[in-house]
Amino acid sequence: MRALAPYLRLYGSRPRSLFKHTPIVGIAAMCSLLIGCGQGESTVARSDQPVSGGTLVYATDREPTCLDPHVGGDMPQVFVAQQYLDSLVSMDEEGRIGPWLAERWEVSADGLAYTFHLRKDVRFTDGTPFNAAAVKANLDHMANPKTQSSTAGGYIRQYRSTDVLNDTTAVVHLATPYAAFLEVLAQGFLGIQSPTALTRSRDVNCESPVGSGPFKVVRWDRQSQVELVRNPDYNWAPPTAKHQGPAWLDRIVWKFIQEPSVRFASLQAGEVDVIEALPPESHEAARRNPDLALIIAQRPGNPTNGTLNITRAPFNDLKVREAFVRSADVEGALKSVYFNEFPRAGGPLSSATRFYSPDFQSAQDYQPARAARLLDEAGWATRDAEGYRTRDGKRLQVHVIMGNRTPPSEYTLWEQVQATTRQAGFELIVEQMSDVQSTKRQADWDYDIRLGYWNTNTADVLRIIFGADFISPAGVGGYHQNTAGYTDPQFEGLVQGALTTQDAEQRRALYYQAQQLASSQYLQLTTYPQSSRLGIYKTTQGVRLEPSLAVTYLYDAWVNK
Amino acid sequence: MTSESLVNELPNPRRERLARLGRRALWRLLGGVLVLWAVATLTFFALRLMPGDPVLAILGGPSGNPTAETIAEATREYGLDKPLAVQYALYLGRLVQGDLGVSYSQHLPVTRVLAEQSWPTLELTLTSLVLAWILVLALTVLTAGRRRWVSSLASLAETLSAALPHFWLGILLLAVFAFGLRLFPPAGSDGWRTLVLPSVALAIPLAGFIAQVTRESLELTLDQPFVLTARTRGLSDTAVRFKHALRHAVLPGISLSGWAIGALISGAVVIEVIFSRKGLGRQLYQAVQAQDLPLTIGISLVVAAGYVLANILVDLLYLWVDPRQQEHAA
Repeated sequence: MRALAPYLRLYGSRPRSLFKHTPIVGIAAMCSLLIGCGQGESTVARSDQPVSGGTLVYATDREPTCLDPHVGGDMPQVFVAQQYLDSLVSMDEEGRIGPWLAERWEVSADGLAYTFHLRKDVRFTDGTPFNAAAVKANLDHMANPKTQSSTAGGYIRQYRSTDVLNDTTAVVHLATPYAAFLEVLAQGFLGIQSPTALTRSRDVNCESPVGSGPFKVVRWDRQSQVELVRNPDYNWAPPTAKHQGPAWLDRIVWKFIQEPSVRFASLQAGEVDVIEALPPESHEAARRNPDLALIIAQRPGNPTNGTLNITRAPFNDLKVREAFVRSADVEGALKSVYFNEFPRAGGPLSSATRFYSPDFQSAQDYQPARAARLLDEAGWATRDAEGYRTRDGKRLQVHVIMGNRTPPSEYTLWEQVQATTRQAGFELIVEQMSDVQSTKRQADWDYDIRLGYWNTNTADVLRIIFGADFISPAGVGGYHQNTAGYTDPQFEGLVQGALTTQDAEQRRALYYQAQQLASSQYLQLTTYPQSSRLGIYKTTQGVRLEPSLAVTYLYDAWVNK
Repeated sequence: MTSESLVNELPNPRRERLARLGRRALWRLLGGVLVLWAVATLTFFALRLMPGDPVLAILGGPSGNPTAETIAEATREYGLDKPLAVQYALYLGRLVQGDLGVSYSQHLPVTRVLAEQSWPTLELTLTSLVLAWILVLALTVLTAGRRRWVSSLASLAETLSAALPHFWLGILLLAVFAFGLRLFPPAGSDGWRTLVLPSVALAIPLAGFIAQVTRESLELTLDQPFVLTARTRGLSDTAVRFKHALRHAVLPGISLSGWAIGALISGAVVIEVIFSRKGLGRQLYQAVQAQDLPLTIGISLVVAAGYVLANILVDLLYLWVDPRQQEHAA
């Protein structure tokens, strides 16, 4: 979800004062000067013939806090879950839904009842058979407040109940039509777990969850690694998989190496076979290294952005919003901060999202002259001694708030935005604070810009980030997902309408208009899409990214060592 | 009755000394308990009085998307609906019974997290301390009071190493010995090979500190008349330095070692992150970020207890090294 604002997602959390960019640059320099890390010819020829057996060592930046992806709902959880859980339905590269644990399904005419016809031959790794009762147990588990699920709030708020018609037929009832339901069901966050295991306490299930997937979790050594072994009985791979039957690998060692440079160096040394969250500064080195292969894929959803608070001045004025967006040279900033490795995202949806339209890609292009004209029109025509624009004696100030888990590179990116918007006359004030404080400021609507992104596999994300349902706070905390404060009956009609039809072309048309409307309102300064970036050592092949959230999928992978 | 009063009437010096020591130990212990209580209380209020709702931090901060029901349920589960004073009293009550609670962010009892993560940190800090002392002894005993340039050079090396930040040193060691020469693994916490680079990174700056004070006191000691006496008895220079001078000169270094335990643990936070090691330091860092109250207090208590214990040990070591102190021990 997975993840609005705090930005811990991309690089893990690091203390700013200690790390900044220096270690990475330092190591890179030292490698080239002293020893020439990882140079030379590849010694193992990659073979296209899968080999059964062997252990794959995987290294990622962040450790999940719970292995059960129903609890909470943070990206590291779904990466592990994809290896040991199956989903009810699958999603292909084009975003189309296909069968998996459900062989087929029907949706009632009113869109409120989904009837799933299930496979008969599936067993969880604890021996429990998969059936309609298991589907019910899982959806109820996600919706249960005790589970502390974010999925419940974001993706299945519409869920009411499940009827078990017989062993292989389950009818899921929703409160309102929700065409994105099948899409979110394809996400690993909503993976199906053993109902027997789910009866244990939340904390026990966090540590040793049980699924029906190609691997099973055997041990979790905290702050070190998770160990998974092959499920020898696996025979129900999704249609998107490259083979059927058990996985090739015997074993996966899933390690946590927080420092990006250390992770990359471990890959170069062959100590690990696959790394995730390859740092952008290492992309070029990885490409030039004959021992390494790269997989980079954008994640669907709402790209990384600063969302403008339109409930107060100065961003309550559309002209000022457009002027701000147009005066920020994001392309230039991306070039210098991320070495041109991250593309610009110009619209409210990432290009990997189904129903994304490229038509709004350039709505945010850098046009300082237009920005200046808009500000003149909006009445911010005069400048004070320091060059900032003023109106009625008040300076044109905007505050961006950042929690302490914002990565340093993101801070640098916004410093560049600060420098270019200053030329247009904006005073951009970057306020850094603890995550809790920034959450509080957000709850109080006390900000002009809030950083965030949202990874999900459906265009319905537009409703979550700009919809009326998400403007009001969820409970006592006062936290709202619609950080722009945008409400518009026309927009609401479009995104709600898109939920009432299963017809792909109708949905495409409605989401096109919704993107157009959101884009024309200048609610966000979008910067770059979130991405999954894997580095793969020469000994390993067949690693893929599962399309629903661009999550690593090791079922088809094998090792030659 | 009578025998007791008899004993009281006849002063027994041995018994009295033991009683004095016992009283002293009791006071130290009470002081220690007071320190632990203060740590728990300060941490409790520091975390609880931060602005913002702790339930939101528990449910994933801004990245979470809990429903109103989830928030209400979690608030009830963690007792956050009660007044702060009641929460504090309940927490303290459980603490006295040895119940540290369940970590919000790890979904584990705090005692289990401590059991799993304490040893790697202890291993790291102890190895670093021993390593630091080996460096100190090698450097100071061999160079103090030698020719002027030798000792100034050594002294410069000490000042430099004392000034080295842990993270910089850690990354340098990684680049050269792990990535470059590939002598040691860059990450992990299994086996002695993974322990080498992190302990060296922690030991070098510490050795710099301890060596500075040890050198000064060693140089003073070498000018003492008893050293001259020892030499006139025909002892070799090395024997004089190790057998006689050192015993006097290490005292400031030993008391500094008590402080060093604290410095090592704070250094361990950074080093454990850089070297991807298991341990309390890295865990504490995550716990604070997640506003995980039970875990943060649990780790703080263990660290504080370790610090108190280390200082008591240093005290005893002091007495053992310098018997003169025993006269004033009471």
